[in-house]
Amino acid sequence: MFIIDVQNLRKTFPSPDGCDKVAVDGLSFCVEQGRIFGLLGPNGAGKTTTLRMLSGLMAPTSGRAMLAGYDIATQPNDVKRSIGFLTANTGLYQRLTPRDILVYFGRLHGMADDRAFARAEELITWLEISEFADLRCGALSTGQRQRVNIARALVADPPILILDEPTLGLDVLSNRLILDFICRERTEGKTIILCTHYLDEAEDMCDHIGLLHRGTLVANGTIEELRIQAGAERLSNIFLTIVHEDKSVDI
Amino acid sequence: MNLRRAKTIFVKELVDILRDHRTLAAMIVAPIVLYPLLMLGGIQAATSQAREIKKDDIVVGFVKESDWEDVVKPILLEDHRILRRQLAEAKARSASDDEIAEIPIAIGEKIRPLRTDVIRESLLQRKIQCAIILNEPPESDGQTSLTIVVQQDEMRSQIAGQFLEEAFMRVRDEQRDRNLARLHIPIAVVEPIVLTREEITTPGSVLGLILPFILVLMTVTGAIYPAIDLTAGERERGTLESLMVCPVPVMDLIVGKFMAVTTIAIIAAALNIASVTATVYFGGLGETLMQSAEDAEQAFPLWAFPVVLFSLIPFAVLMSAIMIAVCSCARTFKEAQNYVMPVIMLVLVPGGIAALPASRLEGVMIVLPVANMVLLTRELLSGVEVSISTFLTVLLSTSLYAAVAVTVAAQVFGKESVLFADSISLRAIVSRRLMKPQKYPSLSLAGLYAAVLFPVWFYLQNSLQLASPDNMESVLLWTTALMPVFFVLAPVGVALYAKINTIATFRLRLPRWPAILGAIFVGSATWVLAHELFVFQDRLFGTPDILKDSGQAMTDALQAMPFAVAVLVIAIGPALCEELFFRGFLLSGLRTSMRKWPAILCGAAAFGAFHFLIFRFPVTATLGVLLGWICWQSRSIWPAVIVHAMHNGSALALARAPALQERLGLSESGPPTHLPPLYIAIAVALLAIGGFLISITGDRSADQKYPAH
Repeated sequence: MFIIDVQNLRKTFPSPDGCDKVAVDGLSFCVEQGRIFGLLGPNGAGKTTTLRMLSGLMAPTSGRAMLAGYDIATQPNDVKRSIGFLTANTGLYQRLTPRDILVYFGRLHGMADDRAFARAEELITWLEISEFADLRCGALSTGQRQRVNIARALVADPPILILDEPTLGLDVLSNRLILDFICRERTEGKTIILCTHYLDEAEDMCDHIGLLHRGTLVANGTIEELRIQAGAERLSNIFLTIVHEDKSVDI
Repeated sequence: MNLRRAKTIFVKELVDILRDHRTLAAMIVAPIVLYPLLMLGGIQAATSQAREIKKDDIVVGFVKESDWEDVVKPILLEDHRILRRQLAEAKARSASDDEIAEIPIAIGEKIRPLRTDVIRESLLQRKIQCAIILNEPPESDGQTSLTIVVQQDEMRSQIAGQFLEEAFMRVRDEQRDRNLARLHIPIAVVEPIVLTREEITTPGSVLGLILPFILVLMTVTGAIYPAIDLTAGERERGTLESLMVCPVPVMDLIVGKFMAVTTIAIIAAALNIASVTATVYFGGLGETLMQSAEDAEQAFPLWAFPVVLFSLIPFAVLMSAIMIAVCSCARTFKEAQNYVMPVIMLVLVPGGIAALPASRLEGVMIVLPVANMVLLTRELLSGVEVSISTFLTVLLSTSLYAAVAVTVAAQVFGKESVLFADSISLRAIVSRRLMKPQKYPSLSLAGLYAAVLFPVWFYLQNSLQLASPDNMESVLLWTTALMPVFFVLAPVGVALYAKINTIATFRLRLPRWPAILGAIFVGSATWVLAHELFVFQDRLFGTPDILKDSGQAMTDALQAMPFAVAVLVIAIGPALCEELFFRGFLLSGLRTSMRKWPAILCGAAAFGAFHFLIFRFPVTATLGVLLGWICWQSRSIWPAVIVHAMHNGSALALARAPALQERLGLSESGPPTHLPPLYIAIAVALLAIGGFLISITGDRSADQKYPAH
């Protein structure tokens, strides 16, 4: 039973010249519960559009995607209840404290006040936020902000996490803390879609990898399967080989 | 809508905004520091400037040297003597210092003559303050005729002219009195009427002229920053995606944000009013303006300030909604500021028109956004009696505009093309190519069209009545000609542009036959029931003369028209046009976001409001509910058209058949009376049968709201 089931997902955007621009084309993949699925690809490959569709922020032009049993097209609110979404350029409310933000998002997810406060406290402890939990977010460092962002995505304790560049621009310590936390969430049965440009991270953490190039999934499998497909050892080489092959097919 | 979630968003936004020093500066520091400084400083500067001008010497121009030496100088010296004598008399009476001080200083000493050949140029070049021209005396009657020339737009010139005029008048009066005394003629012979002018001030009129416009501006200013911060700011900071990914409908988000902006705008307005009150009462501004504390209290009554605040609340609500709607289109702070500027200009235009002293709260001004609030505030401050229907129309129309603006904001805020578009957002909203085909118009589109049509239609109706005040026939014919344009063709055009299914939206599909039959039964009964409702309303509240007069004028006009034209004008035209718009376009928009009864009630309220007379509202809105239900149930516009046409046709039949009126016991004069019970019973029975027939044509799923596509 797959907790994420994506079939032929397609998204086009109207462009000023009248021709629709295809951002994602015929994307299909499935993820089992408790696995980390790495969605990799060069810039402009369609990763962010895919994640936005999966999180109910964008309606697909065609195709179907089921997350935790809910259809993103017809049950977007149920999908939103089942996911924690961290975008690449997520900001924080500068004048609120991390504690304010966690309680606020807890309430928005329909939690009662005492439950929202208790959950905020839990996340503050797990992600080592206590030290700056009552400072305004405007005064926090990049690493501290990213920890708050991850806590915000987890506030409703969703079964699926969609993380877009969770370690972007972080120092080694913050990076380690967040990767450890992601591993722990997987151990607890959460399903994670991870988008990252750090291929070493993806190689270490992902159970499955999907390689997206110009809107289509050019490779999909475990790291071992990809090694065989590309005939290369390191993920960075696999990545380059497959992307180059895709280009040459076009030529 | 989930109120708890909207409240969560409201509280968070309020805390967020109030922690921002820029908001606090605009909201608190500006009114508390700026008002006293501007008002006191400005007025004190103006007063001291006027005092300085009075101290200056007056340079008076003359054409001939002899004019000065032989005529003007002797008069001024005479005036000097008169003043000195008055001063001596005052001292002899041991008058108070105040009285002595009021005697003007000797003027002969502060006037400097300057001969000039070109009076006009000298005045314009400020070489002289005023000029005196000696006119040719009339034939040997011993009179001296002088003309004082002043420059109208120059304050120094005005003061100098007044100074000289008063001096000449004093000498003239003195000489006249002396001459009369010598001839033993009582003064009453030459001055049979003694006229004294006393000016009183309407309480609050000074404030009423200047304050509403300033407060309107300050309220708008108070709403701008939070509106931008909570919409475009959210996008720019990158917090919007994490907010939109929460399981919260966009309407809840917008309502929470809108409540926060409104609260800030009202707090800003309240602080501004408090600051004005403090400046007037404790800063001495009232006394400075009005000369005495008593006059100040008359001119600036304390009770006026809470009244002003109260009337500003709906305005703050409207402006916050508009600001939120406008800023929702922007993705950055800068872009939002660019969008807001034209809106402020748009607010200034009607606000400025309303601030003109001659503007009154009447005609189209009652429903003109912003202008109606400025005028209502002014009328309340000036103690002018505002009729309850005008007051309610102002509040209702403002609330209607605010509701539409919030709905539009919700539509724009959640729109994918605006959320993630790289191109210009506004284009993304209105570009036809980017629109997806829809079955029904969205609530915001239908509401926006209704909100635009409301003042336009009000203005057209008013203009038609003003153009031919005594010719109701012409008004009716013009209304019939214009109605299809605004109520049918324009909405159809909008629907076609927005790729909306017109057959579904305007409910053009033919109904099942029981619905037609039911509509005929209902249509033959509604007039009787509407009349009974009107009688009931008349017993409770009475009927204003204006309604009786317009009813009579309409009856006369209908009697005068050829029958076929009257049927078109009163029955077929309105039934088709109004049903296509209210039960077609508007109700279809409402049903995309509301369940059955809220949608029908809102549509009926709009139908009632569009008839513009508050006393007709209960009857028209009740009919609107019935027609809405018929349309919803039968899933077709035609049964409602039949009922509407038959209802209006009944009124026409009565107007053209006085014998029928007599038989029903309806007198032309006097209050409306109940119909015979038998007729009422028959009408109720027809309504019940018709209602039953219509209800069996509908399906159960019609209870649910319809998705827009």
